[in-house]
Amino acid sequence: MATILLEVATPDKGEVFAKEINMLICRSIAGELGILPKHARLLTELIPHAMRIKVDGGETQLFIGGGFMEVTPEKITILADSAETPDSIDVERAKSAYKRAEERVNSFNKGDTEIDIKRAEAALARAKARLLVKGVPIP
Amino acid sequence: MANLQHIRRRIKSVKNIQKITNAMDMIARSRFNAAREALLSNLPYVAKTKEIMRRVVGQMRGREYEHPFLKTRDELIAEQKEADGKFLFIVIASDKGLAGSFSSNVFKEAHDTIEYDGTGENNSMDDDGDDENFHKKNFDALNAVKPIATRTQKQQRQVSATGGIARATAHQGGGGNSGANLQVAREYNDAAYIDGIEIITVGRKATLHFQQRGYNVIKSYHGISERPQYRYAKEIADLVMERYASGEIIDVTLIYTQFKSAISCVPDDVTLLPLVTDDYAKSNANLKEEYIYEPDVVSILDKFLPRRIATRIYGAMLHSAASELSSRMNAMSNATDNAQELVGRLNLFYNKVRQAGITNEINEIVGGANALE
Repeated sequence: MATILLEVATPDKGEVFAKEINMLICRSIAGELGILPKHARLLTELIPHAMRIKVDGGETQLFIGGGFMEVTPEKITILADSAETPDSIDVERAKSAYKRAEERVNSFNKGDTEIDIKRAEAALARAKARLLVKGVPIP
Repeated sequence: MANLQHIRRRIKSVKNIQKITNAMDMIARSRFNAAREALLSNLPYVAKTKEIMRRVVGQMRGREYEHPFLKTRDELIAEQKEADGKFLFIVIASDKGLAGSFSSNVFKEAHDTIEYDGTGENNSMDDDGDDENFHKKNFDALNAVKPIATRTQKQQRQVSATGGIARATAHQGGGGNSGANLQVAREYNDAAYIDGIEIITVGRKATLHFQQRGYNVIKSYHGISERPQYRYAKEIADLVMERYASGEIIDVTLIYTQFKSAISCVPDDVTLLPLVTDDYAKSNANLKEEYIYEPDVVSILDKFLPRRIATRIYGAMLHSAASELSSRMNAMSNATDNAQELVGRLNLFYNKVRQAGITNEINEIVGGANALE
């Protein structure tokens, strides 16, 4: 099966992922994308989500906290703000972050104008994606 | 004859200093490890951003879409004939001293770059063969259409005789009050020249240095030089992009210390804006394939280019932090060694003096006994 090199780098953890893969399913600001080997050149921005990576018939997930993705026929480069493999995710932390963000979004909807809704929503999306990668049901 | 007690005291104080420098060495060492770690884990990200930037911009040049940050130098110069933009410099140095010549090396590089008058021979290339000294070329090109400094002959002589403004002010008591220095600065380099320059500093030392010399420091960051955070880099990048987009500044240069190894840190200057250097133009030739942009070119570039600038500033901050701490480590371990040597010499001296005293006393006793006979 044809493969394509996937490299994920973050500003503070170096190269988190570098492997030949068969397919990548990720979410950009314009919608979901599936990338197969020999894809056309592409540049896009990613939103926080759980990225699905297909290798040798199996599938792993990787948490991406937003960033940019460049695709060339041989290589996918992801410049992520943050990226975590399932075993490096702290479930308890993600859960409490989820609750906190949810509360903030709720109180904004009730009319609390002091809340930075963009930040709260981004935090919610990140926590959700982390839990998804870990396979934990969302509370 | 030297007083024994004085020497003892001297030895004691040297030993105390040695303890302090040794402690500072160890502190710097542990912080350095953290800083190096941070730098090493940032390197791949910076390298990849650069790679992508190159491919994308290289492919983009010569196409029909336009973006304010993707103009060629010719276009920029054509615009700048009428514009009245300033040159901006970002200088990254340290908050604290006791790091050997770390800060002064940065300032030297900064003055070489800032006061570049078109005559310097410095045409350094980056390690990876990049031509990043765009500022100097830009300066030449701009100077041709719009001379920045029109100095009188007398001033020109003074400037070249004193090696530029840095030494000119230093001769007048550089550490004194900044009001007087400002005048001196304006006398040696004419006011229009100083007014055409803006500086953003990171590190208390850098702020003091440039304020005392009459430069216009528009923003400074203190307390972050040893442990940089991305949000400060982003703040600087936002400010820079905004001013560049509005035409207030036309050239942004970053001056920092590049960390090569624990014993080699080299000050470096890098042009942040304009983004498109000749290098990108060259790589244009071998890339013909079109990119797909999601959702569209302009909105992607609007987000990606500021990221590139912020990443670059953050990378430079990390380089500078690692360099600062390794310089401090070296300086402090040298100081500890020197103190050790000094203690040894003082001990020898102390023993000599003590022996001389004993010999003297014996002589006196013998002399007294002889006198009694």
